[in-house]
Amino acid sequence: MGTLTGALPLPAIAGGHQKSRVDYQNTQEGILVRRAQAGDEAAFRDIVERYQSKVFSIIHGIVRQRNDVEDIAQQVFAKVYFSIKNFDFRSSLITWIYKITVNECFDYLRKKKVRKLVYESDLSEDEVRRVENTEPAGERQPLADANLARRDYVLKLLTRVSEEERMLLMLKEVEGYSVEELAARTGMNENTIKVKLFRARQKLVKAAQRLDRAPGLVAG
Amino acid sequence: MHQVIVESLEDYIGGALAPAEQRDFEAHLEICAECRREVDGMLETSSLFDSLRAPEELSAPPGFYARIVAEVSKGQAPTFWSLFSLDAAFGRRVVFASLLTMAVLGSFLISRETGYSAGPTSSETVMAEHDSTNRDTMLVTLTSYYEP
Repeated sequence: MGTLTGALPLPAIAGGHQKSRVDYQNTQEGILVRRAQAGDEAAFRDIVERYQSKVFSIIHGIVRQRNDVEDIAQQVFAKVYFSIKNFDFRSSLITWIYKITVNECFDYLRKKKVRKLVYESDLSEDEVRRVENTEPAGERQPLADANLARRDYVLKLLTRVSEEERMLLMLKEVEGYSVEELAARTGMNENTIKVKLFRARQKLVKAAQRLDRAPGLVAG
Repeated sequence: MHQVIVESLEDYIGGALAPAEQRDFEAHLEICAECRREVDGMLETSSLFDSLRAPEELSAPPGFYARIVAEVSKGQAPTFWSLFSLDAAFGRRVVFASLLTMAVLGSFLISRETGYSAGPTSSETVMAEHDSTNRDTMLVTLTSYYEP
């Protein structure tokens, strides 16, 4: 598993103590961000080059449509460009970019779902059946691929929690952050992280119950 | 859910509890059916997340940065309507100043209006408004008076 912890330095942690916002602004990454905030194009390019692989991996993990990964990544970095002035150094840069990326992926999935519904509503039942039969085998039988079914299921559950909860769950579960690392990267204290994650998990369980489908049924 | 579970849940799910803490955690689950049921549900949903890990590392294709620049330029290109748009804070100030000006002007006009009589003037009023010592002026005014 390629975790952020393994791939990137931890700007907010030094010797186990949490650094302040001012300290982070004076790190190499903080200086890079401040240059980008001042309109330095070279600094923005540095940020893109530093995090593009990570962003591609996050998107690929969620969306799985290789053709769309680059489009979404472009949108992510365009948003980073336009919003970098609002970055307040409360969290680390990658945590901020991670949140933008996850939100962009969910936005993409939501739009894709709407487009599919609109498209299907324009077709007759016979036409829908014909289109389904001409789709590639992988998409024709999504449940045959247990991993794809589990992915769709967890994505559906994640739409029932807030953006912040979704980001914390993803950072903890997918990226493998510890509570201590999450606290350092988000600027929240450890107890707050624990309580937020606990509530998020409760919501996931309730959402699973509401979907009337025990998670065990879709697990591998 | 009991505090001992909330406190240690993340480390328990991540397999990072010290042996003694793990024993305490599991001992509580043995005696508390409600916590056991909830933790089971959380462990099941937790196990679903590995499906969100990218199956392979993807690297950005050549020319990716150039395409971002193009995307950013597209977002920056001024449209016809954007020429009329204002910065939000500045716009709020303009709206506030306009409202304040309207309020001051309105109250000024209302105070001026009270100086005039509301209805049409009668001939008696015209006579009362004139200096009674100047008979010629009053006669001229009365001959030119038009009854509305």
